[in-house]
Formats: sequence, C-alpha cells, structure tokens
Amino acid sequence: MIEKIQALWPEIALFVTACVVMVIGLSPSAAVRRLCGVVTGLGLLAAGALAYTTPAVNPALPGLALYGKAMVAGIGLVLLLLASGTVDREYESFLARGGEGAGGQGRAEYEPLRSTKGEFYAFFLFSLTGLMLTAGATDLVWLFLALELTSLPTYVMVTISSGRDRSMEAGVKYFFLGAMGAATFLYGFAMLYGGTGTTSLGGIANALAAQRAAPGGQINPIAMLGLVLSVVGIGFKIAAVPMHFYTADVYQGASPSVAGFLAFVPKAAGFFALLSLCAAVGWGPTGDTLAEPLRSVLWVMAALTMTVGNALAVVQTSLRRVLAYSSVAHSGYMLVGVIAGPGPAGGGTLMTSGVAAVLFYLLAYGLTNAGSFAVLGCLERVRPDGQAEELDSIEDVRGLCQDRPLLGWALVLSVMSLLGLPPLLGFFAKLPLFGAGLNAGEYALVVVLALNSAVAAFYYLRVAAAAVLEPGQVGRGPVSVRPTTARWRPMAAFVSAAGVVALAIYPVTGWALFGARQGADARSEPAQRAAAEPALPSDPHAASVGATPPAPAE
Amino acid sequence: MLLWLILIPLIGAGLVPVVAKPYVRTVAYAATAGPLALALYILGSYSFAAGAPEALTRVARWAPDLGLTLRLSMDGVSAALVALTAFLGPLCVLGSKTAVTERVRTFYGWFLVLQAAMTGVFLARDVVLFYVFFEFTLVPMFILIALFGSANRRAASVKFFLYTFTGSVLSLAGLLSLAWYHAAVLPPGSTPNAGTWSLALSDLALAGRAMPANLQGWVFLALMAGFAVKVPLFPLHTWLPLAHTEAPTVGSVVLAGVLLKLGTYAIYTLVIPLVPDAAVAFAPAVGVLSVLGILAAGLMCWVQTDVKRLVAYSSVAHLGFCMLGMFAFNRSGLQGSLLYMINHGLSTPALFFCIGMIYERYHTRSMDELGGLGSRMPAWSSFMVFFTMASVGLPGLNGFVGEFLTVKGAFEAGALPGHDGPRGGMTGGVLGPWFAAWAVAGMIVAAVYLLYMLGRVVWGTYHAPSEHGGPHAAPHSASHGQAHGHGHGHGPDEPAGGAHTGLPTDLSGREVRVLVPLAALCLLLGVYPAPLLNMFADSVDTTASLMQGALRRAEQVRPEAPEAGAAAQPQSAGAGDGAAGSGAEVDAGEGEGVEGRR
Amino acid sequence: MLSIPPTLAATDVASYLPVLLLITIVVGFAATNLIASALLGPSRQGDIKAMTYESGMNPVGTARKRFNVRFYLIAMVFLVFDIEIIFLYPWAVTFRNLDPSLSDATVWLGRILFFILTTVVAYIYGYRKGVFRFD
Repeated sequence: MIEKIQALWPEIALFVTACVVMVIGLSPSAAVRRLCGVVTGLGLLAAGALAYTTPAVNPALPGLALYGKAMVAGIGLVLLLLASGTVDREYESFLARGGEGAGGQGRAEYEPLRSTKGEFYAFFLFSLTGLMLTAGATDLVWLFLALELTSLPTYVMVTISSGRDRSMEAGVKYFFLGAMGAATFLYGFAMLYGGTGTTSLGGIANALAAQRAAPGGQINPIAMLGLVLSVVGIGFKIAAVPMHFYTADVYQGASPSVAGFLAFVPKAAGFFALLSLCAAVGWGPTGDTLAEPLRSVLWVMAALTMTVGNALAVVQTSLRRVLAYSSVAHSGYMLVGVIAGPGPAGGGTLMTSGVAAVLFYLLAYGLTNAGSFAVLGCLERVRPDGQAEELDSIEDVRGLCQDRPLLGWALVLSVMSLLGLPPLLGFFAKLPLFGAGLNAGEYALVVVLALNSAVAAFYYLRVAAAAVLEPGQVGRGPVSVRPTTARWRPMAAFVSAAGVVALAIYPVTGWALFGARQGADARSEPAQRAAAEPALPSDPHAASVGATPPAPAE
Repeated sequence: MLLWLILIPLIGAGLVPVVAKPYVRTVAYAATAGPLALALYILGSYSFAAGAPEALTRVARWAPDLGLTLRLSMDGVSAALVALTAFLGPLCVLGSKTAVTERVRTFYGWFLVLQAAMTGVFLARDVVLFYVFFEFTLVPMFILIALFGSANRRAASVKFFLYTFTGSVLSLAGLLSLAWYHAAVLPPGSTPNAGTWSLALSDLALAGRAMPANLQGWVFLALMAGFAVKVPLFPLHTWLPLAHTEAPTVGSVVLAGVLLKLGTYAIYTLVIPLVPDAAVAFAPAVGVLSVLGILAAGLMCWVQTDVKRLVAYSSVAHLGFCMLGMFAFNRSGLQGSLLYMINHGLSTPALFFCIGMIYERYHTRSMDELGGLGSRMPAWSSFMVFFTMASVGLPGLNGFVGEFLTVKGAFEAGALPGHDGPRGGMTGGVLGPWFAAWAVAGMIVAAVYLLYMLGRVVWGTYHAPSEHGGPHAAPHSASHGQAHGHGHGHGPDEPAGGAHTGLPTDLSGREVRVLVPLAALCLLLGVYPAPLLNMFADSVDTTASLMQGALRRAEQVRPEAPEAGAAAQPQSAGAGDGAAGSGAEVDAGEGEGVEGRR
Repeated sequence: MLSIPPTLAATDVASYLPVLLLITIVVGFAATNLIASALLGPSRQGDIKAMTYESGMNPVGTARKRFNVRFYLIAMVFLVFDIEIIFLYPWAVTFRNLDPSLSDATVWLGRILFFILTTVVAYIYGYRKGVFRFD
C-alpha cells in the first residue's frame, strides 16, 4: 500500500500546491494574491523534481510514468507562463486604481466572489495532477478517475477564461460532449472488466494473453468491444475523428491561453491512456501488430483524423480554428505511433519505436503549440468602439514580423515547426513516426501521413506568410492590434521558440529523446526490473479498488 | 573544413541582422567570398580522381537516438557543385547592389542562409541530413521570392513552396523506407551494417540494391515525387516559370544556377545508386518525359514575350537534357549530364543577370517593348549574345560539350536496330537513337527561339519604353525622370538613372565585373572541360558500372516468362549470398532481397 | 482489500438470465402497482388532483422564476461534507481493526488526515467566497 504513495509524490506535490493556491487566491491582500502564479510555478518545479522518484508501476510500459510526469511538469511550466494573466486582469487593475469613479472614496473593497484567480490556478494544477496520474495509471478505475480529473477542471477553465458569452457556450458544449466521451470509455472499461475479470491493467494484459494463447486464440469479444469503445471514447480527449467536432468551437470560444492548455493536456492524457490500454493488449508476440479489430479501428481513426483535420483547417479563416483543426491532425499523426507500437525488442532508436515516437511528439507538440497560442494570447485587437478583444482571424497577424519582430518570428517558428519543416523540432518529432510506421509495416498509413504533412503546408504557410510577408500595420492608419497587459505571456512564446530551435541541436534533443526512449521501454523483463528497481511493488498486478489516488472532492 | 563551407555563410547570416546597415553588404561579401576561397583551396589541393578524399570526409555524432549522424563528404561531383554555389555567391551580392535597396538585412541574411543550405545538400552523406538541407532551401527561397519579387510574387512563392514541399515529404518517406529495409529486413551480415538503424548513404545504397524489384519501384516513385518536382521534370514544371518570372534577379540566378541542380544531384546520388533496378525499369518513362519536356518547353518558349519567362522555360528544356543523359546510364550520358548541370549553372544565371540589368533600367522584360538595344548598349548586348550562344550550345562555348555528351549518351543507350545488347559502339540501355533524335530536334527549337529573342531585343529597330508611351520617344528629352509616375522608373537615356539607382545607359563597371567571371568560365569550360570531366570520372565510372549491371539484370529477366523468373530467383539468391559473404560484390541484386524478406 | 473474483463475462445468453429476470420483476412490480391502485383505490377526480406533484409548487406557469443562488452554494457545501462523512465512516470502521504496531497504521492515519485537509481547504474556500454569509 505504501508503494502506491511512493509512486505519487509529484501528484501529491501538485495537489497540495493547488490547495494552497486556492486559499491564497482569495486573500484580501493584492500582494498575496499576486503570489498565485509564483506558487503554482514552484509547485510544478517541485513536482518535476519529484518525478524522478517515480518507480516503474505499469508492468507493460514501465518507463511511461516517469517520462510522462517529468514531461508534464516541464510543459506545465510553459503552459503556466501562457496561462498567466488569463483571469482577473481587469478586476485587479480596477482594484489597483482604487475603483473606477470612486474618486476620493479611498480604496475599493476586494470582493472574493468577483475574483476567480485562485480557482483558475488551482484548476490548472488539478488538471495537471490528473494528467500525471494518467501517466502512472495501473488500473482501469484509476485511469478513469485520472482522465476525469484531467478533464473536469478544463471545463471550468474554458468557461471562466474570458468574460464573453462565447466562452460560456464553449464551456457548456465542451462539458456535455466531454461527458459523452467519458461515458463511452467508461462503458468500454466496464466491458473490458467484464471480458477479463479484473480492472488492473497488468491483470488485463495477462487475461488477454491467456485468451489469445487458448486454443481458440481470440480475445473475448466483449473485451474487444470494450477496448474499441474505450479507444473511441478516449478519442474525445485527443480530438480524434469521430469525436473531434467540438474542437474548433471550443478552442475559438476559450481564451487563447486556455485553448493552448486544452490542445496539450487532455490530448496528452488521452495518449497516455491509449498507450496504457494498447500495452495491455500488447502489440502482438513479435511486437508489431495490435489485435485485429482494434488495429483496424485505430487505423481508420488515424487516417480519418489526419485527413479531416487538415482538410478542415485548410478552409478556415480564423487562426484559432486553424490551430484547432491542426491539433486534430496532429492527433492523427500520433495515432500512427500508437498503432506502430514499441517495435522490435531492444530496438535502440526512436526510429523503430512508435511508442517512443508518440512520447517525443507529445513533448514537441506541447512546446510548439504553447508557443503559437502564446503569440495569440500576447496580442489583442481594438474594436472601433474602443473595446479590446482577442485575436481571431489570420488577418490579425498580418505584418507581425515587422511590427513586433520577436513575437512575429516566434509565431513563424512555432507554425513552421508544427508543419514539420527541418531543421525545427517538429521535423525531428515527425521523423520517428515515419520510421516507426514503416517499421510496423503500415506503408499505406505512412503515405497518408506524408500526404497530410504536405496538405498541412497550405494553411501553416498561410499563417506564416501573413506574418512575414505582409507589410507592418504600425504607422498605417489606426493601429488595431496591440499587446495585452499579460506580462509573462511573451515569455511562453519565447521559451517555445527557443525550444523549437534549440532542440534541433543535439545535446538538448538527446536528453528528451533519451527520456522518450526510456518512457517507451516496454520490453524489460519483470525479473530484471525487480532487480533494478527495489522500490517496485511486490505484486504489480494487485488490483485494489480501494487505493484510488487522492482525488479532490469534485 | 567541409563544415566551414556551411558555417561561414551561416555565421554571416547571423551577423547581418546586428551589424550597422552600411556594413551589411560587406558582411555578405565576406561570407560568400570565404566559402569561395575555401572551395578553390579544396579544388586546388585535393584530387578527386579516386573518389572522395579521406581528408574530406567527416562524421560526427548528431542524434544517435534517431540514428542521425552529421556525415559530410565531398567527391568530385559535389566538389564541382559546391564550387559553383560558392562561385555564384559573391557575384549575386555584387549583382544585387542596386536592385536591393530596401530590407537589405532581410535579403542578405536569407541569401546567406540559402547558400549554406545549398552547400549542405551537396555535402551531406546522411539521408536525413540531406533532407534537412534540401527542405531548408525552401524557406530562404520562399522569402526571397515573396518579399523581393515582382507583382505576382505571393502566388509564385506559395506555389513554389507547396509544389516542392509536397513532393519532398514523399521523398522522405521513400528514404526512410530504405532505412527501414536496411534495419529490419536485410539479414545481419549481408551488408556491413545490415540490421542496425543507419541513415548513412553508403549503407542505404547497399540496402536499396538488395531490395526486391517491386519494392524498389515504389521507393523510386516516392523519391522521384520530390526530386522530379525540383528538377523539374516535364509535367511537374509549372511552378518554375512562375517562380522565375516573379523572383528577384538574384533569386532567379540562384534558382536556376544551383537550386534546380539539387533535384538532378539528388537523382544522381540518391535515386540511381539506391534503387538501380527500378531506375532501369522506369528509365523509358523518364526518358519520354525528358524529351517531352525539351520539346514542350521549347515550343512554350516560342510564344513567350517576357524574356525572363522565356529563359525560365529554356531551363526546363535544359534540365530535360540533363535527365535524359542521366537515364542513359552510360559513361558519356552521365558525364554529359553532370557537365550540363555545371554549364547550365553558369550560362543561365548569366542570362538572368543580363535580364535583371535590363529590368533595372527599363522596368519591363517584354519583347514587345524592348528592341534594338544593341545600338545603345553594346557592352550589354555582347554579353547577352555570348551567354545566349553558350546556352544554345555553340561549339567552343561550354553548353556544347554537355549537350553533345548527353545526346551521345542517349543515342548509345540502346540497341541498334536488329541487334540485341551492346554492339557497334552501343552501350546498351533503354533509351536509344530515337530519344537522341527528338532531343536534337529540341536543340534546334531552342536555337530558334533564343535567336529569335536575340533578334528582337538586341538587333532590330531600337525601341524602349518611356513614360511618354511610344517606342519612339525622344531619347534625349531632358525632362525625363521628373514626371515619372512609378517611383523607380528610368528612361534608357538617363545616365544618372535619376536619384535612385545611378545606372548608366550601358553596363556599369560593377555589372561588367559580375558578368566577366561568368563569361570567362563559360569560355574556359567550352574549350577545356577536361579537368571537370576528370573530377567526375571516378563517380561516373562507379555509377555507370553499377547501372550496366542493373541493365544486364533487367535484360536477363525481361525475356523470361514470369514462372521462369520465379524459378530462377532462388538460384540467384544463393549466388547473392555467396557474393555478400565474400564481400566482393556489392550489387548482388535481387537475390538478397528475396532472402531478406524472410 | 477487496479482491474481485475473476468471473469472466460470458458470451452465452443463458448467463444473463438473472438480469432478464430482474428486469421482468421490476417492470412487473411497477405495472402491478399502477394497475392495482387504479382498480382498488377510490377515484376522485379534479383539476388539482390531476396536476403533477411538484413539492407544493405550482407546476403551471413561467419556469423563469428567480430564487437565491445561495441554494446552489449550500448544496455544494453540503456535498463536500457529505462526501467527507461517506469516506470517514468506513475508514473509522476499518481503522479499529488495524494492528497499531504496524507502520501501515500511520499511513492510514496520514491518509485520512490528508483527506480531511482537503475538506478544510474546501471549507476555507467556501468561507472566503462568502457562502456562509446570509445578509
């Protein structure tokens, strides 16, 4: 029982930080309230450091938990920079002015009901806690709770991210569709339990292996149906076709900072869950194919997700919708890696391991995507009536490279990296997906992947061209786009841009690549693992329904 | 040392945004002259007669987790092309002095990046590294066209980017499938590194040759999807005239001079040696497309009125010759093809420079508006005639040697009527006299349209546009330049060129300095191409013998019935194993592929 | 620790007979009750009687009536403490059986204290937000 806790130190750190932030966010003192972001960052740093204590918990993917948690902490810091100043900016400045029109009445009273700062950062952390828990999940019940802990805070974050009606609409839409997705995979989990008799992922792996080893050689149809339903339901989290349709509306409705969060966190959770499930099924005795109906479902999902995502992105005029549909397409790319599986035993490089490719792609995508949304979040447009609103159309970034060179080039870099243009990070992330797909014999899928990468050039190029080629807007008539007052957000863009470039140089890349490789190491024998990791649970298959992670009162 | 060839321009590109504006061009000179000096030093001190010199090979770790290495090497072919790139660099900086006056930093910064990326392509011996450089040439070129081009530049740049990017993603898939085959299918021990994940060109070449024929075919198609667009091969050429027409002069120069060579170079180093059997199988198709390209582009040239577009179409035709020679697979064809790459890289850029100089003066490139410039611009006209003749292939100038060799190669690459196989001077192959005949017809068409162009622009009655509209506007009217509606317009007769460019009527000293080195090289290679041919010799011999082997295999397989072929395969598999075991024969062929599929 | 017997869900229909039986009983019970009350009970009809029962509220009319948002807040806070009790109760029952000398006991205590901490945080949060103020 204690081992379970030993695997959870980073989550506990995040959770405690969330509790602290929730309380200090409501402090009457503005100085203390301002600490929210700092405390959140410290919590993430602590969680990142603690991530290295994570033992191998999931027998099928022993490295996933450690890599997942470390990556979440790292990307979480970038997302935090991005999320800073999302809520309460106007309210705080209103308070700092002593209340508008208050004149000589002294200082305005702080009303906790009007402030959402504490909640926002706390939910941010809760969601990341859920994501870390997903990475370390060893049990279906745990997996479900972790996925829900990842998602539930995001519904609230979308809704409170800006005061506009659109956010409310987006939040409600996201919530109901998310509930549908959750119901689907919960139903799938239930059937999986019905078909195998256990909720432990290790137990499921054993049961499925036994079923396949039996004379009939087939996975129990109910278990298979459960797997397919789970995969389709988790498809909501990763915004895969047929569960992708909410993406554009929600990303457009939420403020860019939250949209950037949504593009990474639920997606990463979904992929951790998919990898855990597929690892339980196993990629076949030789490590190259999933069990058949599941593989076909994933195959169709991957091909459709890429194609639909890209096709819809091409016709958008709203930059945020472009990024939303492109995030759909990126999920499709990563599904190729999920299908490909870990590759042959002892396959040294990422080029043969689809799992490692997915893990690395998640990191690259998270970093890059945060950058593109950060640039959007750094700017706002002034309407003719003097009101400021968030950027939306591609037109809004015209001439950005001239007007604000740093932001402009950061946008161009991140967009080109998303396109996968060498020598940027996105290329080195996509490369192993190609390699792993070929290695698994999925030639047709690799061709689809290649063609889709080319289609993506249409819309990414449009964004980059608008920023680079158009003449600057400053000094030509009324300026309509100006920077927001969120001071930390540009940092997110610059960190992302630097990462996109720096990771193309080996020493940095190697560290991340090594992590991804370790994270995907699915082949170490239990005996070796036990010798190497004394802290390993003595019986990793022990299903314990009572030992759910410390979930907050939802 | 090879790394410095790439690094010097990159360092220059890094300096350009930070140095004071007057020094930007100085930095650009230094960053282009450095590689030129280095390239000259390399050419002077190493012999390429026996392949890539040991000293010019460099392997460094890059990203072992991805199997990537920083593998650079230089053989005779890449040495020549690197030298060409380095040679055009300073000329471009010199030639763009008056044309580029705004956003100077952007222009030279990206130009230097482009130089570095192109050099990198020629040096890379790791396929992914190659791909990285190959793709990265797109970005600077895109920016050069889109920011510094003429009216329709956005459409042209986007078309350029999308065409080439789409194709090359498929090329990447093809390259990686070779790597996969090398790592996963080839039995360990059949080639030195089989069974390990390697992206080194030398390893993949062995893997590709061991592939079964149908798989080679797919890989060939995937690779060609990217490289044929870049060449450009006939039906995929439509981006090129547009890009050339809209690009700034330097953009066109680099595009024609080096960028197109990336495609042919890639086919020469990556496609033909890696999948030789498929190359043989598809050679007739490529040959037909090349000839069609030569003829179609020639006819298109005939109806152009825009001089620059005309030269652009002539590029398509020239590259058609290049492809034809390459797919002849014999010594003269390959030699000619490589020589043609260099020659085209000298004469066409020179033509673009000439046209750019006219455009700077008259702001038009239309043959309807220009005429008889010979009387007013004798120096320019002499250069124009000279380079056009070089381009047409006048004996004594450089174009002739390459053209002759490619056509000779294509002619020999076939069987004489009534004979099978190599006989009577024929080397055997899949092209033959008919291809050569049509290509020669294309040469005639080229001579016709280029001379027609010269006839209108250089000779004929003098007319040039001016703001007074008519071609007969008084050339000495003093009020020129004041009433210009379009800011940069200059009459032909403004020695001072207004306040903007200060161009004299005829060529300035700077412009002459741009053209003279090109002309000198054209002449030199026309009368004495032997040093260049010697540089190519080793590489060409290797490729030619490899391809002759592939041709023989194709000859053996073709007449047999499918059943017989299948029955023959196990035997050849055994032979292949034996050969691989002894390590003597590298192109043991399909046999290992059959074995490898197990 | 709960251990679940590894009963595989079967694919044959026969094993789902109990479920079918339960559904039949449920439907039958409801139907019997309705029919029996219709047959046996006295039947006095009227407008008020025919109206839907809505806890004393008038079911006809506009639904857009305002009532205090604090109802929701109270309900939420109630949920927090409700869940606390639900977790505390089984914990208390089990904790008695633990051997105090085991190190596990401390962990169990630590756990529930951690859990109580979260509810305390929820309480402070609610307090700061003014849930308990009724002015």
